Amino acid sequence: MEQHLMWNWPMIVYLFLAGLGAGALAVSGIVVLWGPAGEFRHRAALIARLGAFIGPLPVIIGTGLLIYELGRPFRALNLFTSNFWFLALNPSPMNWGSWFILLFCIFATVYALTFIPWKSLLRGEWGERLEARGERLRAPMASICVPLAIAMAIYTAILLAAVPARPLWHTPVLWLLFTVSAISTGLSAIILVQRFMFRKPGAVRGAVRREDPAFRVTEYYLVSMKVLLIIAELVVIGLFFMFAHMTINSANFAVQTLLPGGEMATTFWVGVILVGLLMPAFIEGFYLLRTAVLGHEFEWPYVINVSAPIAILFGGLMLRYVIVVGGQITGPIGI
Amino acid sequence: MSDSSDSQVSRRKFLKTVSQGAAAVATAGVAGGAMHAAATNPATDSGKKNKVQYGMLIDLRRCIGCQACTVACKAEADVPMGVSRSWVEYVEKGLYPNAGRSFLPRLCNHCSEPHCVRVCPTGATYERPQDGLIVIDQGVCIGCLYCAHACPYDMRFLNPVTRFADKCDMCIHRVSKGLVPSCVNTCQGRARIFGDVNDPNSEIHKLIARNPVSVIRETYGTQPNVYYIGLDTTDENTKKPGQYVRVTTNKANSPKRT
Ligand code: SF4
Ligand code: SF4
Ligand code: SF4
Repeated sequence: MEQHLMWNWPMIVYLFLAGLGAGALAVSGIVVLWGPAGEFRHRAALIARLGAFIGPLPVIIGTGLLIYELGRPFRALNLFTSNFWFLALNPSPMNWGSWFILLFCIFATVYALTFIPWKSLLRGEWGERLEARGERLRAPMASICVPLAIAMAIYTAILLAAVPARPLWHTPVLWLLFTVSAISTGLSAIILVQRFMFRKPGAVRGAVRREDPAFRVTEYYLVSMKVLLIIAELVVIGLFFMFAHMTINSANFAVQTLLPGGEMATTFWVGVILVGLLMPAFIEGFYLLRTAVLGHEFEWPYVINVSAPIAILFGGLMLRYVIVVGGQITGPIGI
Repeated sequence: MSDSSDSQVSRRKFLKTVSQGAAAVATAGVAGGAMHAAATNPATDSGKKNKVQYGMLIDLRRCIGCQACTVACKAEADVPMGVSRSWVEYVEKGLYPNAGRSFLPRLCNHCSEPHCVRVCPTGATYERPQDGLIVIDQGVCIGCLYCAHACPYDMRFLNPVTRFADKCDMCIHRVSKGLVPSCVNTCQGRARIFGDVNDPNSEIHKLIARNPVSVIRETYGTQPNVYYIGLDTTDENTKKPGQYVRVTTNKANSPKRT
């Protein structure tokens, strides 16, 4: 089966990483623009900083992977240089996407630079000047980065959904599925890095201390948001199946690969649904309910603490795998 | 209203403008009708946007499934091992003693509304205005294979030698010199007819006009320019009750995607 795939692991990993980076950047930008103040200020600043640092990296790595796979790195510039006006008038989703990636990488990098603590890196006047400039640029950059990140997340799905000849991809729900998954994996990446940073009791990072009550409260809200995103993703997956099922023709046949008995069924139901969505939802939901209903401290063992976001990241990757491969092993029915 | 006279004037002006506009529309309509009448000479109007539109007609009643076209194409275009530009599918139907086998040669349809051209992010795949053929500019293609996903006929592949997208180009190096494509040249049963589907004097035009012809997967709206006489679109997934159907693609190393 594998040798007939025209888009393989590089594409799968790229779609996953692009979604992850876009999601992390969107979360960071939203926190900068509409984040909480007061006692939660430092905590919000930390989340925004992590998101900004995570944002551009996966996208750059994923794009590099794709270009490497093409085999001729400089050929990829044809995306921008060849037939500019023709493509501006007859846009292809991949052409849009490459402009999005370019803009995303530029703006996300500038945005990330505004978070670097220049004062502690550079002595003297330069450090202060750069840091002051960074603080002034941060909010305007965030208001550019949020729409750009959401556009990027949607584009990863439109790229697939634009081809009618792949019935599994050609569905009006795919963009929603990939966008929700992007934000969910981006948020999980931020949470995961945080949990590594605050592993030890009494850990202090800048103005944030693990023992602060604000720390727990923010953690509680972040995790609730993540569980809500998981529920949203399950609903969208339900819609995905419904759309395919209500379509009489090829899409109905294509979706059989995901249903029990199909070629991709085990990967989908175990990798995406069980490990990637239900397991973290149950683990985190349990601790959330324990706090919400029984009034316990929002505190849980470290292993479970990091395994939930890792499972979500794994589920995101598996979702891309199942969709990309499933779309290619199915096709239009009839000659 | 204090400025009623003003509004009166403007209303009159408005009506005048409208009536003039209506007259202009009416004239245009008449002229358009005349032009339309001129364009729909049933002998010359094929509905194709190009003046010359090369295409192929395959008479499946004459095809014997010998795969000579497959071999000729491979030799002509130097297609590497493991991939094919053209192949012949075997369609087996029924159970003994009511069984039959028919053959279905496949090649790029050189569609008039090609999805592959729509998605190409570099413009490497394009439609030649002079003859309507869909070709790939190997100097521009980046080998992303987006076009291969967009083609509803699974005609495109990654050429393992050049690492660019590849497919049947209707032998442009031959047809631009007035020869017929290699697969047409070699066809033993004379099942493949090549020509300009817009030219009322061409053999292909006459055969399309006289016979019941169909194209593959018409519902995709690609408007293919490869026509078939005697096409049966049944496959394993669309067979009628009680039918036995088996389709063997013979496409190098690649199963049929359903
Ligand atoms: S058959 Fe496929 S590759 Fe050929 S022109 Fe049509 S869409 Fe393009
Ligand atoms: S593989 Fe080449 S011809 Fe096909 S879409 Fe990509 S750039 Fe265009
Ligand atoms: S027209 Fe040429 S390239 Fe196309 S199938 Fe025939 S021999 Fe091959």
